[in-house]
Order: sequence, then C-alpha cells, then structure tokens
Amino acid sequence: MRIPNTLNWKVGGPAGEGIMTTGLIFSKAVSRHGLKVFDYTEYPSLITGGHNTYQVYASQHFATSQYQTLDILIALDKPTLDLHSDELTENTLVIFDVEDDKINIEEYHLNAKVFNLPMVRLAQESGGSRVMANNVALGASMFVFGLDLQILFGVIESVFGRKGPEVVSKNQNAAQFGYNFMLQHLGQPMMTSPKVEGKNYLTMTGNEAISMGAIAGGLQLYTAYPMTPSSSVLHVLAAKAQDADIVVKHAEDEIGVINMALGASYAGVRAMVGSSGGGFCYMSEALGLSGVAEIPLVVLESMRPGPALGMPTWTAQGDLQFIITASQDEFPRFVLAPSDAQEAFELTRLAMDLSEKYQTLVILVADKLLSESRFTMELDNTQFNNVRHGIDQDPQLAETGFYPRYQDTENGIGQRTIPGQPNGYYLANSYEHDKYGFASEEGWVRVEQVDKRAKKFEVMKSEILPQFYEDNGGEMTLISFGSTKGAVVAARELLEQQHNIKVNVLNLSWIWPFPEQQVTEVLNNGIPFAVVEGNSTGQLAKIIRMETGIKVEKKLLKYDGRPFYPHEIVQFVRNTLKK
Amino acid sequence: MTKALPQKYPFLPTWCPGCGNFGIMNAIKMAIVKSGHPKEKFVIVYDIGCSGNMSDFLDLYGFHGLHGRALPPAAGIKLANHDLKVIVVIGDGGCYGEGATHFINLMRGNHDITVLVHDNHRYSLTTGQMSPTTDQGTATKSTPEGSIEVPMKPLALAVSNHATFIAREFSGAIPQLSARIGEAINHEGFALIDMLQVCSVYNPTQDLKWYREHTIGLDENHDSSDKAAAWTQAMREDKLPVGLFYKEERPAYHALVSELQDSTLINHQKNVVELSGLLSEYY
Repeated sequence: MRIPNTLNWKVGGPAGEGIMTTGLIFSKAVSRHGLKVFDYTEYPSLITGGHNTYQVYASQHFATSQYQTLDILIALDKPTLDLHSDELTENTLVIFDVEDDKINIEEYHLNAKVFNLPMVRLAQESGGSRVMANNVALGASMFVFGLDLQILFGVIESVFGRKGPEVVSKNQNAAQFGYNFMLQHLGQPMMTSPKVEGKNYLTMTGNEAISMGAIAGGLQLYTAYPMTPSSSVLHVLAAKAQDADIVVKHAEDEIGVINMALGASYAGVRAMVGSSGGGFCYMSEALGLSGVAEIPLVVLESMRPGPALGMPTWTAQGDLQFIITASQDEFPRFVLAPSDAQEAFELTRLAMDLSEKYQTLVILVADKLLSESRFTMELDNTQFNNVRHGIDQDPQLAETGFYPRYQDTENGIGQRTIPGQPNGYYLANSYEHDKYGFASEEGWVRVEQVDKRAKKFEVMKSEILPQFYEDNGGEMTLISFGSTKGAVVAARELLEQQHNIKVNVLNLSWIWPFPEQQVTEVLNNGIPFAVVEGNSTGQLAKIIRMETGIKVEKKLLKYDGRPFYPHEIVQFVRNTLKK
Repeated sequence: MTKALPQKYPFLPTWCPGCGNFGIMNAIKMAIVKSGHPKEKFVIVYDIGCSGNMSDFLDLYGFHGLHGRALPPAAGIKLANHDLKVIVVIGDGGCYGEGATHFINLMRGNHDITVLVHDNHRYSLTTGQMSPTTDQGTATKSTPEGSIEVPMKPLALAVSNHATFIAREFSGAIPQLSARIGEAINHEGFALIDMLQVCSVYNPTQDLKWYREHTIGLDENHDSSDKAAAWTQAMREDKLPVGLFYKEERPAYHALVSELQDSTLINHQKNVVELSGLLSEYY
C-alpha cells in the first residue's frame, strides 16, 4: 500500500555505471522540492560487475528509513528485474530499456506496471553519449511524479558544473528527452508528489555529518586508514582539509593511525580517528593508552557484519559490547551512537568537546546504514564556538622539577600542559604512574590513580542527555540504539495508520555511561517491551540487564547484513501483541 | 603503608651495571644542551624496553608509548607542533620488529623526527629473546636451538627506503655519538642513528671487545651524499661500519602539508568555526 504524500524510487544497475551519482541527483532534486529524504544504497565489495542500487524515499513529514514497496523501479540492466520483484506492487512503475538490454519483459511475470523507455537511444538523440541514459531516466522520473524539471536541471548544474557548461547542457538535454517521452506517452503524471514551498533542506550521509560535526567541534587532525564503511569520512575530510584548515593523514595502518593521533592530542590539538570493526580491533591497545595517560581522543567505529572481514558493504550492530569494554583493564569512556545525520553532526561535535573536557576517550558508534545513507537535516546556524579545556596557561613546576599533571582533584580532572610551554614538564605514560607521570608500581599510587580516573566517570554521567522517547500511550515499547531508530519510528507510524496499534519508542544514542535512570523508568512503567537490534544475541538487551537488572525477554534481531525494514517491525509487533 | 613518593625526580637509572644505555643517555643530554634550543622545545617519545625506561630518568617533556609504537606519536607530535624537536628513544625490537611498519612508512614521508635505536641485538627487558638484528644461529631464550632468521640490515633498509639521515655509532664512544645526535636533531627530516650497544646480561658475547673487533669507522673518503656508497657500506658482512652513511636535504613531511605553511597546527585556533562555505554542496 502506497503511503500518502510520499515517494519511493529506486534505480538498479551494474556497478561502475553511475548508479550512485544518478541516485544522488534524484535525491537532491526531490530535496529541493522541499521534501525530506532518506536514501539507502546497496552495493557489493567490488569496483565493477556487481549489482548496485540507490533508493530514495521522500516525504513532506519525515523520512527516516527505506521502505520495501517501490513507486518507481528503474532497471538499467536485467538483474535489477530479477532481484527486486518482491518490492513491486500493481501500483509500481517499472522502467526498462528493451532496445539496449534486449529485455523480454513478459518473461519476468512482474506484478507491476511496466514501461519501455529507450534510455540509450534518447540519450544519443538528445546529443549526448550512452552514459547519459541515466539522465533520461531521471527526466522521466520527474514527469511520472509530477516534479519540476527545472529543479532537476539545477541539480545537474550543481553536480556537473565543474566539468563545464557543455557537459551540463548535454546532461540536461538528455533529461529533457526523457521527460518529453513520458509526456508524449502518458500525457499526465501517474503519481502525485508533495511539494513544500520555501523549504530547502541540507542532506548528508551519516559520514558527511560526522565529518562536518568534527570540524564544527574544533577538529584539527584526522588520521585514518581506509575501511568500509568508515572510509568516506577520510575522503570528505581530505577533500575539505584546505577549506576547513585541518590536517588529514592517511597513516600506514590503524595502529599508526591511533598512536599518531594520540601524539598530536598530547601536543595540544583536537584529534580524531576512524575505522570499522577490524581496524578498531587494531586500535584497541591504544584505547588504553588514551585512558591511562588521559589523552583526549575521538574514535569513530562504523560497524559492518563480522567477525573478521565479515561483509564489508553491509550493515550490522554487532560490535556494541566490544566497544564499551575494548582494551585492557578499566578506564572511563564515552560511547555515543548517533541515530541519523542530524544526531551524527551534533554528537560528533559534542564528542570533540567531551574528550578534551574529561581528558579521555570518546567512541562514536555508527554502522553502514548510518554512515552511507543520506538523511535530511537542519542547522539553525553555521557558526560554532569551541571552548578549550584543561590546558594550564601558567604552569608551575613542583619542587621535584615536574608538573603534577596527574594530581588527584575533587572530580578527577586535572590540568595539563602541552610541550613547548616552559615549566610544564611531565611524562605521558602508558605505564601506571604517579602524579608527574613517572612509572610507579606502588600499590597506593596505583589505587590513587585508578580512583582518580574512576572519579571522572562519575562526573561524566552528568553529561548524559535525555534519550529519544516517544510515549504514545502504546501497547508496547520498542527499544533500539543508533541507526535502528529510523525503521522503528517508521514502523510506529505504519502501525498506527494501518493497524491502529500504538507503540512507544525508546532509542539510545548514548550508550556509555549508560542512561540507567531513564531506561529504568521507562521499562518499569508496566508496558511490555522488546529490543530491536542488528545482531544475533541481543547485545543492547544484555547491556540493559547489566546496568538496570531488567531482563528484556522479547527481541527482534536481524543480522543478515540488511537494515530493518519498517514492515518487519510492524509484523513483529502484530505477532507479539497477537493483533 | 607509607605514602611517600620517591625523594628524587627524575629517578636514578635502573639499568644494569655496564649497560650501554648510560652512555647513550649522557650523549642525548649533551646533544640537547649543546643544541642551544630551549629545553621545553624538546619532546622525547620512548618505546617500551630497557631503553624506554629512560623516560623516568630525564627532565623533559616525555611520552612513553606502547611497545613498538613510539614512531607514530612522534610523527603526530611533529604534525601538531612542528616548532618542537622530537626525538624517539627505541630499541631494535620495537623499531625493526614490532613497529617496523611505522619505521618503513614514516621514513618515506621524511617526518622530521630523530630516531635513536638502541641496538643490542636482543629483547632484554623481557629477559633475552632474539631480536630482528640477532645473528643467525644465535641461541636465545626463544631460540634455544639457534635463531633461523637472517638478521635485518636496518641501515640498508633506510638507504633503499628514502630516509634522509642515516648513521650508525657505538654507544661507548660518547662524544662522537653525542655529536652525531646533535647533527640528527638539526637535520630537517627523518634521521636514523643505529646505536650499537652492549647488553652484558643477555648478550655477553657481543661485549666491548667484540665491538672493537667488529666495528670500523667509515672511510674518510666516504661520500655521505652518495646513495650507492651508503648502500655498499650498509650491506657489508665483514664489519659493522660506524659514522654518517647518508644524508640528503629533502623537505620534511610537515613542510609539504599545505595547511601548515603559515604556522603550526596548534596555532590554527578553532574557537570559532564557520561552516557555511563547506555546506553548500549538501543542498
């Protein structure tokens, strides 16, 4: 059933034929109509030859998830017709190219409307090359949804402007030919699409939002080693480094990455690193160095299925338990798990501040769904102020000739100096150490320093933000973390609109220190509850039990590499409630 | 339990009598004083091992990192503030073994750090296992039947892999070593000094007498700008030459980072960040 005032569009084709760019252009065109978008991509870990898809869901109210049932499917090859038949209904329009792909559409027995659009021929007739066939499909899509072709032209200009006016106009002409072809054959749009005047949203992938949030939070050095799905943070920050006035270093491996960043942070700059689960494993020893030497650091861990190499380009939430404890022994850390681009921006910016304020590790948890999906977001302003924390501007040496960097304080947070400052000498030490940083194996020194670091954790709890909680007077409460929020919120709407079932939603984007108080309150309100999470054992449920004593019996778990679809959560709720 | 910190900071060295580290530490101290740079401009990054324990014996800014990982923080410190003089104190195990990836790659980048490798051909703090520079056939705790591997030639590796200052010295020749460390500190780029060192406890065979017999000063005609000559010396099997093998002037890593042309990274303040210019492409 088509959701009113929305559109759900997908393009599929072989890797290497511009599927991602085509999808991005459509998404931007829709966004410039004042709609909120959620874009979801699927691709294998191959450069050419695999099957790629780009899906755009748009709505004037909210767009937080991909949905299964499509309005338009553009098939740029035969596999697209084979692989997506379960996403079609009799209202779906499937657009394909008989001439170019030699398709006999009858063979596919599709339960959908089908339309032969000679994309390659029209691209060539418009004066362009065959690679511009994708623009024919874009122009046709504009017509079918009743969208404004001039807005698409504007996006084409933004995206291809750097390649010169001829490239822009050829791409625009191809789109015009696609639009005209549909006009001639259909006469009028097949579907209505909402438009909102005067709205022009930002859209960003989670990784773009993380990058911008880091810059807003005063990032000075980003070091990384490529690993999907975290790599695009490296790409974005490297591309923006000059304009953002930051330094980006692709280091020799993840161990070099994190140790280099720790050195830079020790020397006084705000530093961040990023990887996925495998690279994060390499980093885990140095997480402890951040902890014991109290060196500020922000670490991005964008999850994918594992163990080991797992499934590089797919999504998962299976590293959560590891992330909250990774490294040796015990030390305070923040673990934040943004749910969408908006929160990715805000929490990354906050992470830069918290790491310096508490002189400790902040781990940002993302996953492929968040990192590489595109979301609508809004910024009230574009100027951000940062306060530096904890750097002693007038250090004095103790009688020992050293600065008491690790002196115990009321809240465990001391002052630090940075190299170059006279009278600030101390040792940042990976060994347990006394207040000057000198190695110590004395029991009382050890206890004093462990307790000092632990005190910070108590203060860190005061930073916990209220977590997303919708009390809809529901019959049950769905609990999730990070990016799963989008599908849960979408399911909540479908349940209410289509099945008259109300559910409450609790999504955690703050994992550590655990928001014990709020979670306990919500789960003690007498309403049945269940977790919805992307792993096979219910890791969030285990953490909830560990931190609150409350056992979560009901779980909807998914670990096939695909994100939750709203209809799956709808079905789970209906089954659970026997409705 | 008495809660008293030690009487004296920095601590007195805990190395074994006769350890080569005493001479090396004195050479480092002399080089720093002689350099004329203010003391607070120096940072020493220490690796793990007997050499790294020097962290407790010097009164400078220090960073005592993880085993094998002293080079990346050193490069990071230099990127953060290239006005600092950054020295790495590391052993043959950490630099040529566990941290070899960092060694190989940071020298290519010509990061401006001075890497002082305490090379005693053993893992000594862990009580005497073989290291990457242990001679083939040597019986150690981890190789009781004799090591199978052929030892690394670290200077040849550095010559072939674009380090811009490559030297070897003997730790017992303190004035000569100190002068070489001073040159390395002043060199703008990746400077390696392989410092031959006695470990009388876990490597008694390679004692002072052994080094006297096996080392030889580079010929006074050796041209330190000649890479081929440096390679030949670094590959010698008969003797361990000491002296400056190779030196070239090439811009250091930080000098080629466009954002660092005007000032150090720590001086690029982020108190107010304006994002509007970066956001336009996301509409």
